[in-house]
Amino acid sequence: MQIISPAKVYPVIVIGSGASGGMAAWNLTRKGIDVLLLDAGDKFDRSKFWTHVRPWQAREREGRGEKAPQFFLDRKEQPYLTADDRPFELTRVWGHGGKTNVWGRVSLRYSQMDLKAAERDGWEIPWPIAYSDIAPYYDQVEQMIGVCGGTDDSDALPGSKFLQPPPAPRCGERLLQRGMTKLGIPVVAGRRANMTRPTRGFPPCHYCGNCGAGCDTASFFCSADHLLPFALETGRLEIRSNAVVARILTGKDGLASGVQYFERQSGAERQVLGKVIVLGASCVDSTRILLNSKSERHPNGLGNGSDVVGRYLCEQIRLNVTGYFPVLVGTPTRNDRGIGGEHIYMPRFNHRPGRGRDYLRGFGAQFWNTGASIYGAHGGSEQIPGFGAALKEEIKRRHPAWFEFHPFGEVLPYAHNRITVDPARVDRYGVPLPKIDYRIGENERKMTEHMADTVEEVVKASGGVLVGYTRAQLDAMGSAIHEHGTCRMGDDPKRSALDKFNQMHEAKNVLVVDGSAFPNASEKNPTLTILALSMRATDHLAEEIKRGNL
Amino acid sequence: MKSVDAGRRSALRALASGAIGVATSSTIAPWVESLSALSRQQAHAHAAESAIAAQDWTPRVLSARQNEMVITLSELIIPETTTPGAKATLVNRFIDTVLDSAPAKDRDSFLAGLTWMDARSKTLFGKDLLAASGAEQTALLTRLSRDLPAQDAADSQGVEFFKALKAMTINGYYTTEVGLMKELGDDGVLAQAEFKGCDHPEHQ
Repeated sequence: MQIISPAKVYPVIVIGSGASGGMAAWNLTRKGIDVLLLDAGDKFDRSKFWTHVRPWQAREREGRGEKAPQFFLDRKEQPYLTADDRPFELTRVWGHGGKTNVWGRVSLRYSQMDLKAAERDGWEIPWPIAYSDIAPYYDQVEQMIGVCGGTDDSDALPGSKFLQPPPAPRCGERLLQRGMTKLGIPVVAGRRANMTRPTRGFPPCHYCGNCGAGCDTASFFCSADHLLPFALETGRLEIRSNAVVARILTGKDGLASGVQYFERQSGAERQVLGKVIVLGASCVDSTRILLNSKSERHPNGLGNGSDVVGRYLCEQIRLNVTGYFPVLVGTPTRNDRGIGGEHIYMPRFNHRPGRGRDYLRGFGAQFWNTGASIYGAHGGSEQIPGFGAALKEEIKRRHPAWFEFHPFGEVLPYAHNRITVDPARVDRYGVPLPKIDYRIGENERKMTEHMADTVEEVVKASGGVLVGYTRAQLDAMGSAIHEHGTCRMGDDPKRSALDKFNQMHEAKNVLVVDGSAFPNASEKNPTLTILALSMRATDHLAEEIKRGNL
Repeated sequence: MKSVDAGRRSALRALASGAIGVATSSTIAPWVESLSALSRQQAHAHAAESAIAAQDWTPRVLSARQNEMVITLSELIIPETTTPGAKATLVNRFIDTVLDSAPAKDRDSFLAGLTWMDARSKTLFGKDLLAASGAEQTALLTRLSRDLPAQDAADSQGVEFFKALKAMTINGYYTTEVGLMKELGDDGVLAQAEFKGCDHPEHQ
């Protein structure tokens, strides 16, 4: 094996540069610790983003042979396996910043209710930390990345202290607000990592609404803009691009000693040595790396004597419902671009008196694509009957009137929902592929019914009409892109892989700081919590290094 | 929290491992949904491959005659009114690119639909689709534009075809500059200092 710089032992090697790895690299370097950051991809060139390219212009460009930035990893390059009858949609972004280049930006703090759900209902294990442990980190992260939102805290959604002003709601969102208020269902301003005020030298959002193409002004949080350049400025960060990590190497003492990776293009194998490894490659990829890191001391994968690594994969269930408001039909088309996604949010309410049902945990709802679409006629237009001038007229009249309703619900952690590695099926570097085996159960079925009832009640109370509606039709598994649970934190080393500072119980110099560390999913989008958790874990790590414990 | 706790024990008991499937609509033929979805994706996710506006454009999938049929039918679906329609905005070319990247069996289903349209036109009017009058073409589309299942079983294939063609036409037309800005009124303003939100006094 070829060893690059055999003499060099990095104080910390961070794997992955998205929310979790980027935060780890930033936080450690600013505390004076040298970091080697490995990312499986390259830097995306912001100046080449197609943020303001309209659909017809995109087709012209394609015709000239140009290509939009290819954020998403092609499954042909890096396959993953699923059970035939249980598909799972896995979205991966390899490249600096990872999924934060194109993320949905919804930034909701977990509440004490989320962190202690298992204590209350007895399903699996609670988080080893309380809200008061993570709240100071939420405070720091929100000030750093710029999150907009309202001052409408509740037990389900705390901590609005540092939010920037939210954008005003669109007309359809106002109608939804009214409907929910009429029913006593909570509705708040959306909380999103779109800066509405200049933040740390970055300009505020310019309301083009096309955040999904990547932001040309870096006005929403992306690790590649808001963390990595600042870490590089310290002079303590070295980034190695296109380094596809295969395994964490361990010594006879069972502790990590370095990392084995493959150069993405050439396929050449490399090894680097480090005293501490921080894993932030995203839930499935971090888990794959751990399970492939087998050794005499770790025959079941690194830090997996407990057999919990890979288990308890929990994503979220989601409905995608479309409708329109007759009172908005025929009104002049407005500029509804805003901050891209919805400007309102329906927090969880099933914990409130008289609102519960016979299932565990809860759901909230988002409403993207409400208002006049910037991408063309709303998809619901295909459902308008007829053809000809009358159809054309109705599509136009309905254009400002569309709304969408997207409840997100927590999927419980189940031991049988798991990621394994298949030694018989390997990638182009000979590294075993991850296999995802995932299904939902009775609790989720009951929650889905409650979600559907809520959609129907709110739409009715708001004066909306559903279009192309199939009750309780769930989106594909995995499509919320919120994977958690496969390397969970906990106080009991027999039931968890990480301690309360994200260090592996069985290998203290390995930390896992991405969504896989979450003991449960909640109904919320995880990135804000990933950032806060990674900051907290690396604060502790820096102290341990300074104390000489690592 | 209490309300959730109240049902906790029975909920825990009820937690079976049985999977529930993702419901799919049984009324739409897979190829229709596939082509509709592909046209949405082609329009929005920058996947079209050929230069639609090129002077020397020739179809990749459609024959010259099939191309004429698609021009005629798409213009019947989204006609010229105070704004240009599908024909002037070259929606036929968009449809050809969608078909070009479609799975072969879906493409074949679409082309079989065009053949069916000619045959049905001959049965009803004694001439193929392009030879039929505007009124006759409209009469045929009217038969097909009702929701599935078709009122006349002989129209089933045509009803499916129409659904696919309509979706592709809509997704092509409204992603052109004419469709999105002139017809739907998108203001094209891509940078603002402030987002004002809903300005309807009655909806504040």
